[in-house]
Amino acid sequence: MLTTVALALAAGVLAVLAIAMGYVLGWANRRFHVEVDPKVEALLAALPGANCGGCGFVGCAAYAEAIAQGSTEVSLCAPGGASCAQQLADIMGVALEESFPYRAVVHCSATTDQRLQRTEYRGERTCTSANLVAGVQGCIYGCLGLGDCATACNYDAVHVVDGLARIDYDKCIGCGACARACPRNIITNVPFKSERMLVVACSNQDAAADVRAVCMVGCIGCKACMRAAPDLITIEGALPSINYDNYDPTDETLQKVLEKCPRKRVLFVGKPTEAELAAVAHEELPEPVQADFKTTVDDTEWRG
Amino acid sequence: MPREQPTALERFINGILPENPIYRQLLGMCPVLAVTNGMKPAMTMAAATAFVLICANTIVSLIRGLLKPHLRILVFTLTIATFVTIADRFLAAYVYEMSKQLGPYVPLIIVNCLIISRCEICASKQGVGVAVADAFGMSLGFALALASIATVREILGSGTWLGLPVLPAAWPGWGIMVLPPGAFLTLGLLLGIAEWASQRRAAGKRQEGGTR
Amino acid sequence: MDTLATLILIFVGAALINNFVLHYFVGICPFLGVSRRVDTAFGMGCAVTFVISIAALLNWTFTYFVLRPGAPLPAWVWAAAGGDPGTQVDLSVLSYIIYIFVIASSVQLVEMYVRKFFPPLYRSFGVYLPLITTNCAILFACLEIMKQMQDPTKLWGLHEALTLAVGGGIGFTIAISLMAGIREELDLCDVPRPLKGAGIALIVAGIMAMAFMGFTGVDKGVHEALSALLR
Repeated sequence: MLTTVALALAAGVLAVLAIAMGYVLGWANRRFHVEVDPKVEALLAALPGANCGGCGFVGCAAYAEAIAQGSTEVSLCAPGGASCAQQLADIMGVALEESFPYRAVVHCSATTDQRLQRTEYRGERTCTSANLVAGVQGCIYGCLGLGDCATACNYDAVHVVDGLARIDYDKCIGCGACARACPRNIITNVPFKSERMLVVACSNQDAAADVRAVCMVGCIGCKACMRAAPDLITIEGALPSINYDNYDPTDETLQKVLEKCPRKRVLFVGKPTEAELAAVAHEELPEPVQADFKTTVDDTEWRG
Repeated sequence: MPREQPTALERFINGILPENPIYRQLLGMCPVLAVTNGMKPAMTMAAATAFVLICANTIVSLIRGLLKPHLRILVFTLTIATFVTIADRFLAAYVYEMSKQLGPYVPLIIVNCLIISRCEICASKQGVGVAVADAFGMSLGFALALASIATVREILGSGTWLGLPVLPAAWPGWGIMVLPPGAFLTLGLLLGIAEWASQRRAAGKRQEGGTR
Repeated sequence: MDTLATLILIFVGAALINNFVLHYFVGICPFLGVSRRVDTAFGMGCAVTFVISIAALLNWTFTYFVLRPGAPLPAWVWAAAGGDPGTQVDLSVLSYIIYIFVIASSVQLVEMYVRKFFPPLYRSFGVYLPLITTNCAILFACLEIMKQMQDPTKLWGLHEALTLAVGGGIGFTIAISLMAGIREELDLCDVPRPLKGAGIALIVAGIMAMAFMGFTGVDKGVHEALSALLR
């Protein structure tokens, strides 16, 4: 009798609990119903899902919601690229404005030998640590060359060569991880309106005499570039900065600016142009030397 | 294009080393840390988990046609809770001391991510045979992982293995190994070793692929 | 004032001395998974504390009235069925099933409520709620409470159960926030490749567990201080 009652009671309790919670959850489902925009699902499916944060939102889900609310553009996803931007634009039913891929640019071009007043740094081999110490190198604005940006890059697009961070534009997708990692903030994301872009390859804001004391190649703030292209270039402190909204790749003043700079710090960076590839294409690679085994010691006659 | 579902044999072999629940999937860590201070509790926990996993996989596989998508996790959880209750009562009846030592960790099998994830990934999608093979494989992998950690902790911590002394009596017994910090440190280092071994193997495969 | 002393002891015990994560090993999955940044870790901790309290409340009620040996409902049904008052109907075998069912349903309800009425809160904490259903820490707290309700003579009341739950939740929050702070720093360090991720996190957790072992005996000291103070 104990068993029967126990079993019946157990079954009864479970049944009552299940029915009660079922009712409560069913009621709650209707009462607390939230309208979910089906567009968000579609947008999320179109995004690559890398959650890299390059768009400026916490993850792909946050970006999808922002797009659905209409509060942001559809072209911010760097890993997704143009095809993803087109898909997002189609889902939202908007026309895709012409947008450009963003790529990282390092605003320093001095290799280790060109930096003056260097001391032997024996601390932690990270830029963040070296940046906290005074006197590692003369220039307090420029690249330290210890590779925090290279470590931050998940796409193998940043390498430190000769003490200077260099971007491999075949691999860079513009996620901005290197820019966030640089403690001196000399890497920025630039919209690449063409394969090669004019950039200011220096970050030193000091006057000419001070710059020359710390670097063999730094910008001296002579303002020649600003005079050559006043719509494009502004000078802040003693450092030029290019306004990429006004940048037109077909403008001839770009070439003029390049020529006018006495220190050659306003340069083109990007993928190698066809002209450059063609320039080296005709060079013959040296033939690997094939060993000619007729001349080994064994076959040499010994004329003793 | 839907991938071909793995066969029973593949599921079985997968569970032992390639997709080892602890070293590769990092699921079900709570019992791993708690019961591995000796081989005996570890093996008892492995047996209990195996029982629950196999039974739960079987039942879920049998009722997989009836599951509503948004209720399935709840159904899995209730099925698992039923079998855990059975296992817990069985242990309390037949190995009372061990059951007292394992304490609240046997009921915590209910929320062991491993079992729910196997129900979700395998049992709710494939037939009984495959589900049971998967359960066996995963249980074996789980037991192997538990054994490896328990061996390290028990030998270094008390100089015994399965209760039998294996180190000379002069061994002082690193008390820290049988306490919580020892659990974390052992698991962390063993995970590091497992990761290193798999990276070496992956590098070896890449080498072969490159020179071909 | 004895009650207050007991409550403080339970709270300190659950939060620091027998920390849920570092002493009892429950809640390891979110501890390793969500502890990359301090703000998300703190959010997870708050969500866990909230859910633990609700789960403890509901499950204590169930245990008190239905599931413990000598509970009113089975005793009433047994008496109504004309049973011998010397024996009892013991429904404690249903405990695990009912606990997990109550936890899952209450988490679902809370998630729906928060999503509807507190959207900003949902955006920050709400995504963790489904994860918390399978969080060992909630079930563990309920099991600890159940353990203390087996003896009808010294039964834990709702206040003690809630103190344990909130203390456990706060201990979890402390542990996960500390771990997140350490991991944020670890990101900048040169960790050997095999240990990156879970490996180094577990080693750090081991060192933290050693540190928390220093709290052993604090309960005795607190007890003495409180007895002296509240006399």
